[in-house]
Amino acid sequence: MTLLQMKGISKRFGSLVANDGIDLSVNSGEIHALMGENGAGKSTLMNILYGLLKPDAGEIRIDGKAMDFASPLGAIAAGVGMVHQTFRQFPDLTVWENLVFQNEPGQGPFVSAAAARDVVRQLGEKHGLEIDPDSRVRDLAVGIRQRLEILKALSRQAKVLILDEPTAVLTPQERDSLFTAMRHLASKGMALILVTHKIPEVIAVTDEITVMRDGRVSGTLTTRETSEAEIIRAMVGRNVPPTVATKVTSTAQPMLSVRNLSVRRGGVAVVDDVSFDVRPGEIVGIAGVSGNGQPQLISAVAGLEASTGEVVIAGRNVSGLSIADRRAVGISYVPEDRHLTGTAPAASIAENIAFGTHRTAAVARYGFLRKQAIRTQAHKLIEQFKVKAASEQVPIGSLSGGNMQKVVIAREIEHGSPLIVIEEPTRGVDVGAIEFIHKTLIAERDKGRAILVVSSDLTELLALSDRILVMFEGRIDASLSGKDMNEATIGRWMMGGAAGA
Amino acid sequence: MTGVGLETRSRFAAILLSIVVAVVLGGLVVLSTGANPISVYQEIVRGALLGRGLDETLSRSVPLIGMGLAAAIAFRAGLINLGGDGQMLVGGLAAALVALYVPAPGAVRAVLALMAAICAGGLYAWIAAVLQLGLAIPFLITSLLLSYIARGVTSYLVRYPLRDPSTGMPETYRVASAARLPNSIFDLPISVGMLIMAAVAVAVIVNDKHGVNGFEWRMTGLNPRFAGYSGTNLQRQTQRVAFLSGALAGLVGALLILGQQYRFTDGALLAPGYTWSGLMAAVLAMASPIATVVTAAFFAALQVGGFSMERALGLPAVLTWVLQALIILCLAARPVFFKRR
Ligand SMILES: Nc1ncnc2c1ncn2[C@@H]1O[C@H](COP(=O)(O)OP(=O)(O)OP(=O)(O)O)[C@@H](O)[C@H]1O
Ligand SMILES: [Mg+2]
Repeated sequence: MTLLQMKGISKRFGSLVANDGIDLSVNSGEIHALMGENGAGKSTLMNILYGLLKPDAGEIRIDGKAMDFASPLGAIAAGVGMVHQTFRQFPDLTVWENLVFQNEPGQGPFVSAAAARDVVRQLGEKHGLEIDPDSRVRDLAVGIRQRLEILKALSRQAKVLILDEPTAVLTPQERDSLFTAMRHLASKGMALILVTHKIPEVIAVTDEITVMRDGRVSGTLTTRETSEAEIIRAMVGRNVPPTVATKVTSTAQPMLSVRNLSVRRGGVAVVDDVSFDVRPGEIVGIAGVSGNGQPQLISAVAGLEASTGEVVIAGRNVSGLSIADRRAVGISYVPEDRHLTGTAPAASIAENIAFGTHRTAAVARYGFLRKQAIRTQAHKLIEQFKVKAASEQVPIGSLSGGNMQKVVIAREIEHGSPLIVIEEPTRGVDVGAIEFIHKTLIAERDKGRAILVVSSDLTELLALSDRILVMFEGRIDASLSGKDMNEATIGRWMMGGAAGA
Repeated sequence: MTGVGLETRSRFAAILLSIVVAVVLGGLVVLSTGANPISVYQEIVRGALLGRGLDETLSRSVPLIGMGLAAAIAFRAGLINLGGDGQMLVGGLAAALVALYVPAPGAVRAVLALMAAICAGGLYAWIAAVLQLGLAIPFLITSLLLSYIARGVTSYLVRYPLRDPSTGMPETYRVASAARLPNSIFDLPISVGMLIMAAVAVAVIVNDKHGVNGFEWRMTGLNPRFAGYSGTNLQRQTQRVAFLSGALAGLVGALLILGQQYRFTDGALLAPGYTWSGLMAAVLAMASPIATVVTAAFFAALQVGGFSMERALGLPAVLTWVLQALIILCLAARPVFFKRR
C-alpha cells in the first residue's frame, strides 16, 4: 500500500534548480533508499517533505490525502518524522527535555517530568532504542544522540520517517543497531526513507532505491534485483573502482611526535598517556569505537584542547603554542564538525577558504585583502574539487553537506602544511568524491606530507592508511601495519585488546 | 551571480516598501490627532533638509554616526556594547579636562584632548572586556553597568571638584576658544567634527570591506569557534574590538564637548540619546558599517525634521517620536515580512 507519494516536486534557489519534477513513492513497511551525488537535491527533497522548504510545484500525498505543509509542525502532525544530517537538539538540556519539546505531556503550562521520562523509557524498550532520559545531550555519543532524534519522531506517531545520512556519524556497531531498529519500524508498517552515500548499506537494509542526479530522478531500482555497479552507474554515470593505496613504510624523521599526551575531563583521562609518530610520506590512521578519546586527542594535537605531555611538530615542541602558532609551524586540520567548527556558514565560499591564511602574502598585502586573488583561488579549488556551487560568492551554508565538506578539505590541503590532520575525510561525500579525496590524500602523501586520519569507517582506513593505531579508552595500545592491518585484528583491539584473540 | 543580484534587488524593494508602510501608518496616527498628515510630512522633510535644517541634520549626524559605528564595530565581532553612554561620558570628561587644564597652545590642546578622550573611552570599554574574559560576566552586562558608574562619577565631579561656580548649573568651566574645534572651515558649513567623523567612517568601512582585521572580526562574529580553530586569538581580539568601540564612543563625547557644548554639563551628553539611536541604527543595518552610516544619518534627519515640525505646527512632541518608532519598527520588520522558504 502506498503510504507516501510525492509527485512532480520542483524547487529553485535563485537560478539553481535543486529539484526538477521529482516523483517518489514509498509503501508502508518499506525502507526506501534515496541516493545521488553531492548536491543532487536529496536533502532539498526531504526538507520539502518535512515542511522546512516550500516547493515551487508538485504535490505530496500521505495515505492518499493531499498535504500542504506550512511548517514542520504541519508535517509532524501529518505523521512525517525526520532525523537530520545535522542534529537539531538543545545540547544543554536533558534527553527527556529534548524529546518532549513542543509536545510536552502534563497539565497546562507545567511539564510532567515523570511522564516524559516514562515516554523515553517505554518507546526505547519497545523499539530497542534505549537511552537514559536524564543524561545531558551534550555528553552523549553521536549514535545515542541520533537515537534521540528517532525517538522524538516516534513519540509523535510518525508514519513516514526520513533519515538523512544517519550512518555517516555512526560506528559499525551503532550502525547495525540502527538497522535493526529500522527493520523493526518497517515491520510495524512505517515507511522509511534512507538518504545515504554508502552502497553496502543500501544493499543491506533497503527494499527500493531512487537515484537522483542534478535535481532529477535518474533511476528507480529494486534492491533485490540490482547490483553495486548498477547503482553507481545510475549515480555518477560511470564505474568507480575503489581506491586502495599501495602501502609504504616511511623512515624519515617524524613530522609529528606525540609523547605521553593526556587530556583530562573532570578527573577522568579521556586521552591517557598516548605516544606516537607520524612521518613524512605516510598516512597513519586512527581507528576506534567512537567515545574512546579520538576527537580529544586530535583537538589536543591541533591546540584546541588543553593537555599534558608533548606535541612536537617538525622538530619543534609546540605544546605551549596557540592554534595560530601551531598552524604557522606546519599543521593543517580538518575538523569532524564542519558546521560548528570548520566553517562560518553565512560567509561566502571564498571567505571560508581564505580564512586561516588571511595573514599570509597570498591572501593579503599591507593589511588589506587581495580580493581578486582570494576569488581566483576559491574558483580554482571549486573546479578542482568539483564542488557544486553557483559561484565562489555564495554562502557556504547554502551548499549541500558533501560539497561543504569538499570545500573544507580543499582549503586545508591548499594550505600546503607539511602535516595534515583530518577527521572523517569522506563523511557525507558521494562515491565519486570519495575516490577524488582518497586519490588527493595519497598524492599528498607521495609528495612527502605527513597525514594523520581519524575515521569511523574501517574500510576507508584500511584503504588509505600505511599504519593504523587503535584507540581504546583513551589509550593507544596497538600500532598495526602490513599483515596485521586487517578488519579482524583491528576489531579485536577496538574492543579492548588481544585478550579475545 | 544572478541569484545575488536578485537578492539585493528584492531587499532594496523590501526596504522601500517598509518605508511606505511606515509613512502610511504614521499618516493614520497623525490623522487620528486631527492634523493633516501631508503638511506634517512636508514640514519634516523641509525642516530636515532645507536651509539651516540641513546644517542641523549634518551636525546631528556626527554623534549619531559615531555611536552607530561604535555599536556596529563591536556587533560585527560578536560583542554587544551597551555601554556607549559611559564611554562617551568618560571620553567627554577627559576631553574637557585636557582642554581646560593642560598648559599647551590651543590647537595642540585640542588634539591632546581628542586623544585623551579616545584613550579614556577605549580603556573604559576595555575594562568591560577584561571582566568578561576574566570573570565570565557577559560584556553586554558589564558595559551597561559601567555606564551607571560613569554617570555617577562624572556627575559628582562636575557638581563638586570641577564645578564652575559662576553658573547655576552642575558643569565645568568653558573651554577656551582656541582649544575648541572650529564649526566651519573655509567658511563652508562643514565642521572639523564632520571631517573627523567622515574620516573615521571611511576607515571603518574600508577596514570592514578590505582589511585583514575587519575580515577576522567579521568571521569571529559569524562563528567564534571557526575563528578560534583558524588561529584567531579570541581573547586579544575581544579586548581590541572593545577598546576601539569604546574609543569611538569616547571620541563622540570629545567632539560634542569641543565642537558644540564647550563644557561638560551634567546630563547634557546623554540627553539626546545618541547611544541608543546609534545602537538601533547598527541593529537595523545588521552591523554593516555602510548601512549603519546611512541609517544613522537618516535618523538624524528624521529627528531634526521632527523637531522642526513640532515648532512649525505646534503638534505634541510625542508625535515625532511615534513616527520615528513606526518607521524603525517597519524597517526592522522587513526581514520577517520577506522571509521565503
Ligand atoms: N538554501 C539554499 N540556498 C541556495 N542553494 C541551496 C540551498 N539549499 C540547497 N541549495 C543547493 O541545492 C542543491 C541541492 O542541495 P541538497 O542539499 O539537496 O543536495 P544533497 O543531494 O542533499 O547533497 P549531499 O549529498 O551533499 O548532502 C545544491 O547545489 C545546493 O547548493
Ligand atoms: Mg544532503
